[in-house]
Amino acid sequence: MRTIPRRDRMKIYGDVLSVIRTEARTGKIILTRIQLKTNVPFDRLKAYLSELEELGLIQNGSSLKLTEKGQQYVVEYEKVIDFMKRMGLIYR
Amino acid sequence: MNNDIMILAEIISAILCFILVRFMMKPYQYTGESRYIGLPVGFSFLGASYLLMGFALYFETSLFVEDIKWLQLFTQAYAFAFLAATYYFSKQTLKRNTRLWWQIIFSALAVGAIASYLIVFEPPPFDLPSYKTVDEYFRGLNIILIAYITVHTLKSHASQPDPKTIWIPLGYVLLAFGQYSSLIWSLDSSFSAFVGAHVIRLAALLIFLFVAYQAFAASQNETTSNKGS
Repeated sequence: MRTIPRRDRMKIYGDVLSVIRTEARTGKIILTRIQLKTNVPFDRLKAYLSELEELGLIQNGSSLKLTEKGQQYVVEYEKVIDFMKRMGLIYR
Repeated sequence: MNNDIMILAEIISAILCFILVRFMMKPYQYTGESRYIGLPVGFSFLGASYLLMGFALYFETSLFVEDIKWLQLFTQAYAFAFLAATYYFSKQTLKRNTRLWWQIIFSALAVGAIASYLIVFEPPPFDLPSYKTVDEYFRGLNIILIAYITVHTLKSHASQPDPKTIWIPLGYVLLAFGQYSSLIWSLDSSFSAFVGAHVIRLAALLIFLFVAYQAFAASQNETTSNKGS
């Protein structure tokens, strides 16, 4: 059986923020879709979202959205992931 | 005149390495994973080794020139050792054991580097092999370490083929050729091998810089232009 590599918290944060950004472009953000795309159990996703909110990276009001700080973080995060891929480094 | 060109090549190589350190730091900064710290450390050592070679060429007649050359030899070998260790641990999954092994290897390399520097300034009571012999062995070791990194990056490219990921294996191949040319130069003192080593190495470092620019600065421009439109 193929096992899914364990991810660290920073990678999960990055993945969740990237998915929120992508989903925001398509319209309303549905938590179940974020859960499916990030492969995180629902209870833990809720915990991560409140941590991200505490860090000022997302706003969880009437709908979920990235703050300016969150936008900047996700842009930098995606650049770093792209750089690591180009460098032949595996980040999982 | 030739010596001046060589000094200039060493200084430019060192500057390129130190610019690269800024970019190589980012994976560690953003992931918080200590296994990626070997990347900036490796490029810092590489830059320092080129700077030391520049000093050795500039102060050719100084009493310390032999010491500087030995320092350069060790520094360069540790640079490639740190890089190879980083690549080796990057493919490992995140387990407590992996983290522990990385910390052991990183500490061993750091302690080894300090011990090597102490040997240069405080030579042991027994006779050490000549600089030329050690230089040849170290060049061989560097080629092996770079070959390992090249294979690793090529495998990574083959697993997910993308035109963007072929540049880095090419950069490492050129670094290995640079070491090979230096080895040839130390064996037969051929001037063309010495010049070739510098030119190939500069090309390799420019490739790394191009990749870093593409990943950070070029995508920054894209983001800015997208925001503008």
